[in-house]
Amino acid sequence: MEEVRPETSEYVIEMNHITKEFPGIIANDDITLQLKKGEIHALLGENGAGKSTLMSVLFGLYKPEKGEIRKNGKVVQINDPNDATALQIGMVHQHFKLIDVFTVLDNIILGAEDTKAGFLSKKAARKKVSELSEKYGLKVDLDAKIEDITVGMQQRVEILKMLYRDNEILIFDEPTAVLTPQEIDELMQIMKNLAAEGKSILFISHKLNEIMQVSDRVTVLRKGKHIGTVNTADTDKQSLSNMMVGRPVQLEVQKESANPGEVILDISHFCVPSKLHSRNAVNDVSFQVREGEIVCIAGIDGNGQTDFIYGLTGIEKSNGGTVTLCGQDITHLSIKNRGNNMSHIPEDRHKHGLVLDFTLEQNMVLQRFMEPEFQKGQFIRFAEVRSYAERLIEQFDVRSGQGPVTKVRSMSGGNQQKAIVARELDRDKKLIIAVQPTRGLDVGAIEYIHKQLVKERDKGKAVLLVSLELDEVMNLSDRILVMYEGEIVGEFNPKQTTIQELGLYMTGAKRQDRKEVEA
Amino acid sequence: MNIKSLLQRDSVRTVFASLIAILVGLLAGTVVVVVVGLLNPSISSNIIWDGVRLIFLGVFNTGRDAAGALTFGFNPTFFGNMLFRAMPLILTGLSVAIAYKTGLFNIGAPGQYLAGICTTLFLALSIPTSSVPAWLVWIIAFFGGMIAGALWGCIPGLLKSLLNINEVIACIMTNWLAASLVTWVFDISNLKNMLEGTKTGYIYKTSSIINDIIVDGTRTISGTNLPAGAEVVSTRGGVATDKMGLDRLFSGSQVNGGILIAILLAIIFYIIMEKTTLGYQLKACGSNRHAAKYAGIKDKRNIVLSMALAGAMAGAAGSLYALSGNTEFFWTTYQSLPAVGFTGIAVALLAVNNPIGVIFTGTFMSFLNINGQQLTKMTSYNEYITDVIIAVIVYLSAFMLMFKMWLGRKRKISVSPVREGEVKK
Repeated sequence: MEEVRPETSEYVIEMNHITKEFPGIIANDDITLQLKKGEIHALLGENGAGKSTLMSVLFGLYKPEKGEIRKNGKVVQINDPNDATALQIGMVHQHFKLIDVFTVLDNIILGAEDTKAGFLSKKAARKKVSELSEKYGLKVDLDAKIEDITVGMQQRVEILKMLYRDNEILIFDEPTAVLTPQEIDELMQIMKNLAAEGKSILFISHKLNEIMQVSDRVTVLRKGKHIGTVNTADTDKQSLSNMMVGRPVQLEVQKESANPGEVILDISHFCVPSKLHSRNAVNDVSFQVREGEIVCIAGIDGNGQTDFIYGLTGIEKSNGGTVTLCGQDITHLSIKNRGNNMSHIPEDRHKHGLVLDFTLEQNMVLQRFMEPEFQKGQFIRFAEVRSYAERLIEQFDVRSGQGPVTKVRSMSGGNQQKAIVARELDRDKKLIIAVQPTRGLDVGAIEYIHKQLVKERDKGKAVLLVSLELDEVMNLSDRILVMYEGEIVGEFNPKQTTIQELGLYMTGAKRQDRKEVEA
Repeated sequence: MNIKSLLQRDSVRTVFASLIAILVGLLAGTVVVVVVGLLNPSISSNIIWDGVRLIFLGVFNTGRDAAGALTFGFNPTFFGNMLFRAMPLILTGLSVAIAYKTGLFNIGAPGQYLAGICTTLFLALSIPTSSVPAWLVWIIAFFGGMIAGALWGCIPGLLKSLLNINEVIACIMTNWLAASLVTWVFDISNLKNMLEGTKTGYIYKTSSIINDIIVDGTRTISGTNLPAGAEVVSTRGGVATDKMGLDRLFSGSQVNGGILIAILLAIIFYIIMEKTTLGYQLKACGSNRHAAKYAGIKDKRNIVLSMALAGAMAGAAGSLYALSGNTEFFWTTYQSLPAVGFTGIAVALLAVNNPIGVIFTGTFMSFLNINGQQLTKMTSYNEYITDVIIAVIVYLSAFMLMFKMWLGRKRKISVSPVREGEVKK
């Protein structure tokens, strides 16, 4: 530690009046962000609000048109990431920057290795990392390979990387997106420990729960503008989300209790092979979805949910069990024939949902162009396609530059998703499969899509939702199935369970036995 | 409508971008002509000027006047020949363009072209016109050539859709397979031109008359002058594409109805691609195979179909070339690949894969071809300068997107605020 000099400023980092323009858009418009020493400062905003741009400016990736950056009150020039590192600024990215086949220790020292006579010397490094890990409660196995450890531990490795480099300013970019509830609690504790030891933390997130739980102050951005900085203690979730969106938002989905009717989807002993290993990616899964209910499959990413949906919708072949939809065995039907009773909001909208270089109206009829309404003697009826697209755009409030003839590639993510939702819901099928329907969307669009799904449920549709967001799972579903390593390990009523309870099942720490599940 | 609002239209900007590429290519050719002329003491400044004018206007050259100066005007022979040479280029260009719409790069046009030529020649020269009317033989030979091209195109299509083998590699391999196969097939065939003596390296023209005769008990063949005492068993050949009146319009040229068939096929493909459900499916598979599959479109079938259609067009190019009747097929050279297949790539690129555009760019390529021929004939330059021009144009067509953005740059900026997601990184 350096000797304590008289502080010229109470802030360790100040970004004053930062303005960053891109052709046609002001990404950061006169934004001021001041980080106090030892505080956890949350940066809140929707997609496209300018959070990433602001952090890129701090990291020297972008040069702002206006504004200055100060460290400990002194103006500094940050021209590239090396300057940022020299100023002891470190960042944990949303997607980790780790080498899978290296050990934890090797990853931590990578780029800052000690050498003795040209040879790598890890002894001192090992001692330092062990001490840091002890001090902050960051439990890691230094000799394990990254590919063998959990995502939560990988994140601790990223944090240790910053600490090893003696960083004082730590930036966490959406750190909880990949974690289980238990791991999130641990991370929150780690962040508090770090702050208590005098580290200053910038915490980028759009999850209000976590911000309320851990942060000292919150800065809210909206459409590139600085909306305000408030003390967390003086605010609540509702007012933060209103600041973020710019209008009052319903955080909880308003819905009546479900009235399940007849069985629509009946899945029995269903298996889907894995592309990665010889075991099945989905193994012996059985459940039913009835009309008028929303059933949600919860689980940590990569536990077979994607494979299950691929098998169910016919994108991949299944290798065991049966699927019955509306009384018809669809186990071996083509995608097109399954579509007679099923609409599907896919997980990856760019890969499966849209043809990005097609226009909005062409995308609206992607499954339906062969129907007599839209073709006559194999010739497309353009007038009908146009008026159909216009109706959907109007009804589902899909916003775009040029209406039906807009290239979908030029639309925002939220409106692309709305276009898919419009197309799929308007097909009016008994079963609606929605996979991560709100991923990457902002609060306004999430609210809208949730309302639509509840509306469809109330119309008597069967809704099968797959989500990684536990808030969404708890909020929206009438029944929750937890999937772990390709199997259903528990069934819950959202009103009678907690996120923590679900977390135990999602990580495989607990499981209900089969009878209990099927009952 | 003023120029500014015209430039707002995507199609207009595309056409302008192509025109810029062409113009820059021609200017580059001019520079080569001037530089070569200045460096070569035997080329006078008059000849340099002649060369430059021929690059731009060779088709309109009508010879030299008494004073030795170039004269220009409508030259029906050159015009007709330009259209004649445009025919296979339009079709191979169409072949590349169709495959490209489905996201496939059909570099296999030369092989499909050879498959078309080979099949057409065999059919046209084997079916006896003494028992089948010549027009029917023409139809059989033409469609046979198209089908052969389509089947040859199916091979890389099947490999791509079933085994996910890159179509470029499969196409290159089928090209050389076709070259070797065609050479071998002709070598063992009885279609080598025996009647005209020395020209055994050639295959008969489809328009030649071959009489199968028996003289003194031995079976042999003969031309129209039958030896004494010969008994005609059957007559083959005499098949050629109808001139459809074009010979009167462009007297002295090789042009025939093939060019009209090529244009018709281009228009048909434009309609298929833009107006029908088939075109919609093919384009959906080309832009995003996964989304097409998810929507219930049979992606594998469409990939094979697209390559088959592309192959059919390259096959038709070879077929119509052979059926023109007055072109001779020198088979031993076909151990190498016909350039017309590769030029099709440039034709399609320059037309931005628009079937209608291909008609114009194909004609333009053959326009350059005739200009080069005149350059060689009328001056001491050689025709390779046109290759330089084509090379520059192909190179520049890769920059066409840039030209397009440059033409529409004002518009770009005013529209972009919608794309807020793009700001990151």
